[in-house]
Amino acid sequence: MSGTATRVPADGGHPAPDTFDALRVQLHDAAAAFAGAPGALDGILRGLVDDVDRALREPLEVFPVCHHSPASATAMARRLRVKQPRTVFLELCEDMAPLLAELRNCRLPVAVQAFATRVDGFPAAWAPLSVVAPITEASAEYQAIAYALETPGVELVLVDRSSDHVFQWQPLREDAGAADPDAAPAEPEAALHGDAVGVELGDLRPRFADLEQHLLRHGKVRHWSEWWHQYVELPLGDADHGTYRQVMFLIGSLFRRLAPGDTDRVRVDEDRERYMWTRIREHLAATGADPADCVYVCGAYHAASRVAEFGVHGTDTFTVPPRTATEWQYGLIPSSHTAIEAQFGLERGSVSIAAAQWEKNLKRTRTQPYRLKGQAGTKASRARKTAAPAPEVGAESADMLSGFLRRPPVLDPLDRQELLGWSVDIVRAARRNGYLASTADAIAVYETAILLAGLRDRARPTPYDFQDAAVTCIEKDTVPGRRDVRRLVEIMMGGDRIGQVGYESLPPLARDVHDRLAPLGLNLQQRGVKRALLDIKSDPRLKPCSDVLWMLRHLLPPGAARPIMGERRLGEQSVQESWDLALGTHQRALIELGYEGVSLEQVVEQRLRREANAPQADAAVVLRTVEDATLYLGSRRLADELGTRALQVLSTERSVDGAPEVLRRVRELLAFYRTTEPVLPEWIEQFAKTGYAHYCTLLPTAFTDEAATVRQVAAMLGFLFSMEGLALSLGSDRTQLELAVAQSHPEEPAKTALLWAAQVQLGRMSREELRGRCDELLANPLVLPAYPRYLSGLLHALEPVPGLVDVVVEAVSNAFARLPDRVLLPWLPVLITTLRAGGADLAPLLTREAGRVFPGQLAALDAWVPPWRAPAVIPAGPARPAARQGVDLLAGHPATCDALAELLGCDDGWAVDEASGGSALLARHPATADALALLLDPV
Amino acid sequence: MSDMLRAPAEIKYADELDYLESVDTGPKPSTWRLSPRMIRTFVLGSEPSDGLDREIGQKWFGERGIVERAVVTLASDRGLLLIGDPGTGKSWLAELLAAAVSRNSTQVVQGTAGTTEDHIKYSWNVSMVIGRGQSRESMIPSPIMTAMETGTIGRFEELTRSTSDVQDALISILSEKYISVPELEGQDGIVFAKPGFSVIATANSRDRGVNDLSSALKRRFNFVRIPVVTNKASEAEIVRFRTEELLRRHQIDLEVPPTLLDVLLRSFGDLRDVAATAGSDDQRLESALSTAEQIGVLEDAVLHGTFFGQRTLTATTLGSSLVGSLARRAPEDSAILTKYLTNTVKPRSEEEGGEWPEFLAGGLDTLKALA
Repeated sequence: MSGTATRVPADGGHPAPDTFDALRVQLHDAAAAFAGAPGALDGILRGLVDDVDRALREPLEVFPVCHHSPASATAMARRLRVKQPRTVFLELCEDMAPLLAELRNCRLPVAVQAFATRVDGFPAAWAPLSVVAPITEASAEYQAIAYALETPGVELVLVDRSSDHVFQWQPLREDAGAADPDAAPAEPEAALHGDAVGVELGDLRPRFADLEQHLLRHGKVRHWSEWWHQYVELPLGDADHGTYRQVMFLIGSLFRRLAPGDTDRVRVDEDRERYMWTRIREHLAATGADPADCVYVCGAYHAASRVAEFGVHGTDTFTVPPRTATEWQYGLIPSSHTAIEAQFGLERGSVSIAAAQWEKNLKRTRTQPYRLKGQAGTKASRARKTAAPAPEVGAESADMLSGFLRRPPVLDPLDRQELLGWSVDIVRAARRNGYLASTADAIAVYETAILLAGLRDRARPTPYDFQDAAVTCIEKDTVPGRRDVRRLVEIMMGGDRIGQVGYESLPPLARDVHDRLAPLGLNLQQRGVKRALLDIKSDPRLKPCSDVLWMLRHLLPPGAARPIMGERRLGEQSVQESWDLALGTHQRALIELGYEGVSLEQVVEQRLRREANAPQADAAVVLRTVEDATLYLGSRRLADELGTRALQVLSTERSVDGAPEVLRRVRELLAFYRTTEPVLPEWIEQFAKTGYAHYCTLLPTAFTDEAATVRQVAAMLGFLFSMEGLALSLGSDRTQLELAVAQSHPEEPAKTALLWAAQVQLGRMSREELRGRCDELLANPLVLPAYPRYLSGLLHALEPVPGLVDVVVEAVSNAFARLPDRVLLPWLPVLITTLRAGGADLAPLLTREAGRVFPGQLAALDAWVPPWRAPAVIPAGPARPAARQGVDLLAGHPATCDALAELLGCDDGWAVDEASGGSALLARHPATADALALLLDPV
Repeated sequence: MSDMLRAPAEIKYADELDYLESVDTGPKPSTWRLSPRMIRTFVLGSEPSDGLDREIGQKWFGERGIVERAVVTLASDRGLLLIGDPGTGKSWLAELLAAAVSRNSTQVVQGTAGTTEDHIKYSWNVSMVIGRGQSRESMIPSPIMTAMETGTIGRFEELTRSTSDVQDALISILSEKYISVPELEGQDGIVFAKPGFSVIATANSRDRGVNDLSSALKRRFNFVRIPVVTNKASEAEIVRFRTEELLRRHQIDLEVPPTLLDVLLRSFGDLRDVAATAGSDDQRLESALSTAEQIGVLEDAVLHGTFFGQRTLTATTLGSSLVGSLARRAPEDSAILTKYLTNTVKPRSEEEGGEWPEFLAGGLDTLKALA
């Protein structure tokens, strides 16, 4: 590689072939000294230099970066100011390009998201697919984006694989769900990205766990972020362009060469490099741009690539695979430092510290960063009078590595002042949080931080040293407030910053939601919980807001919109409502709703339809969607459509599991339609009719099926009896029910009692017979232990046959009176829990009846006799049939009937109904009547 | 050295300390015998990158940051208070630090309910006072006063066990760095601390609320919390290290099989899980289940096996020692251990076999004997 003759541009930006020869020799000697013989080690060490050399020779300037590295961002900003490239190639999913312009409307950090709810070409279990690329201000990619978007005539080209390819190339990981049991509980902000797959520019970390451990141990640091901060970030903060590039190439190459094992990952990385270079060459060919006017910003790891496709003159042997048919939606979602740390396995607080370092770098180096105009939440870019120090042009061509690797970092004079400031600030923060901290502690923290840095071979205390010092000096045996000193330092160093997507960049649905909720007069973009009070009665304009809120409650996760007062049920409307709204906090969820449709109504409709048409949906679920469609959308059309679906589902169902739910929902819907609509919808009539036939068919099986519970059978009977009127009016046949009951032969006591109740309702058994059977059960010692189960059946029977309540009260009272304790006592708790769990609506019926039957006063109890034991009262005499009165009236005023008869052409005249009632009998056996007449009137 | 049951760290590791002192070129605060970096190396062991000619063994197992913070505190103006659960190695770390800094870890005051201010400051040799009157010669300086006079480290064990008035005697020592002796006049009436003096105290976090430190005293100490070791690999390392040391001390030549060590570690892990999920103190063992307790159990088993058994360590002995060491309260602890053995160990011994069935048998036998 080193021997190849590469065209060196006139500006001397590329190294001469022998630039690194001295370093090669030095490394060769080092390898021989350490390994004893120039073998594998020599290959690796020289390979590192070759990689650097190769990347530097590339005619298209490769700019290596590391994610969330302020040094990268500073170097990027400086380089862009000097070079002013016409085209910027960026390692970011190419399909995310259109969104980048929207970044200016947001407060960083935000994440660019690609989202797909319906997958086509991936396993269905992967849905929904989500890819996020978080963007912070202190990152090289933001500098590149801002430069490209703010400078006229500059083109920004994203060259990495699309979001679709991210999943195409993703190996199936089975251990993805395994959580670290020792991990600290996640903060809510850490979950801002949901379960999205994260992509970021410049992932740079050893792929070889042993190497990382080795670096940490020898670097005397605790975690990777600290290592990077100390050994790369700080030394590179002031480095010139040439040194920066060479060092980053070297690190990328080191991690790449010492990364054995994971072949899948290496393959994906190499494919990405092939992909990117293919795209770059395509673009250069299409636009004819000069590579010298372009910059390719990519992770240092990819800059040290050895694939054949690498470079402007690389081979064109890679074919970009086609995307799947999955339809992707794009948007911006809020992100946070904590979320980024959680997603990419960084140490807590490291991104915040990087952000603080970025501010510091800017101040020290007087670099003027690029910022998108109108970017919210960033400090206005002050036009600095003093220009940024001009980096040495052409310095990159020399060997900057050798010097860098030997040079210790220089102590910054600003640090002493900064450390003093930190020490004072942390003491102040600690005092606010309940610590007994004083100026003496500030002095101790300052002193300890310097001592710790010295002990750890550092020229100046890093934020991590300062954190340790603060914990040592201020933290005592207890934490007085909510936050400990470690957390306070994190907050002081910049804390977690939570991004926000601006109104203009929200999807239409989210904007529509904010517009429609504007009458509430609340700033719902802000994070935190807002209390909304809706007095709909006095201000009817708030009614649409209420509708929106109920839909949001249905669609968003719990907590986003929570009703405190007011409810929405069929046929009910609140006049006042009070809500706790946290739409700002749940902005991601709202934005993701926006991927599903353009309005809330559309999304609700889609979801209801999807739910109703799901293969596993049963009739109860579909009826719920009918109810939701009525409640949230007020849409009769959709409700009818879903109702028809419910009808289909019911007729294909073979189990009765959902019967109680079906009964409850259909009753509510029926009551609602009866009160609000002039005629019942067609589907619900059909539902009653089909349900009647359906449950009649299933009834005999359900009575004997062990899997069907008493409650389910009772609900079936409830459906049959309460829908009977409607079903019969639509042409159902009652015989079907009678036959079904006749065919039912349950063996289980509870179901047997249920069947008796049904027979009473159908008139096939009298109440006295039922009473008699209950008495027999109590009298028979063999079946006595099963009596509670019969009773349970009778209790359930109140659902279909509420008129039986007096018999049930009697049966329960008899149980208490006559059951032996050994049966009664174990059963009592069962009775109570059953009534509580399943009979919430039946219990009032029972207690009301009991209240009627039992005496209200204690004194009356002595003389009280239960009605069922009271002697039967013989009725005084048969009541005169009421119908007779009407007949008499007709005979008395025959004009109407005569007119009708004339109209109909009947001329038979009035017939005296001799045979009606008992008079026919009198005519046939007149002796008794004659005797009576003689007795009454002896004359 | 051989006639000492337990040699203090500065004698036990005298070779290493001498060596480190000879190669130490780093800056040393005042009278310190070693530089902070070398102290860290002494406590945590050496790395090849340290460039030392001989290997320095690791003596205390824990986070590097803890040692660094402790060393740095000693170099500052404040005292060091090591706080943590019983058996987390606080006293051992204090001893190592005192040995490394001043080659003397024996200037110790033991905090108890009976500790008086005299134990911290000074007392008098009554016969000498009667014979010659009160003078510096007839005064008996406390270990802390000796440390002040020599510019070395004084140790105060179990600070929170001593009463508040005794604790507060430390306030002026730590802030003004002198002790006044009102009985004597002139220059003898005041004892100034020499540079290098500091105090390492230890406190048991389980004793919180017994004799809480006053705010004034808290301010004069930097608290360094020593966590319970939960990492299994580190814990195994500690148990092995400490047990080997104990065996050497008892001159017992006995091998601890790795499988038994695993049984011990897992059973402690299980019992810690039980304690973590327990709702009240009655449902958790009285023991803190620290690493030191594990070492105690193992030591007990080893001694039992050596003197009463077949001169080998068996799982039965280990189970028996575990129950014997942890069953302290009659109904509660025994009930927890019975539940643990029957619900966790029994199924495991059926599934995994190995040492578990014997361990179970040993534990259950001891429980029966205790009942």
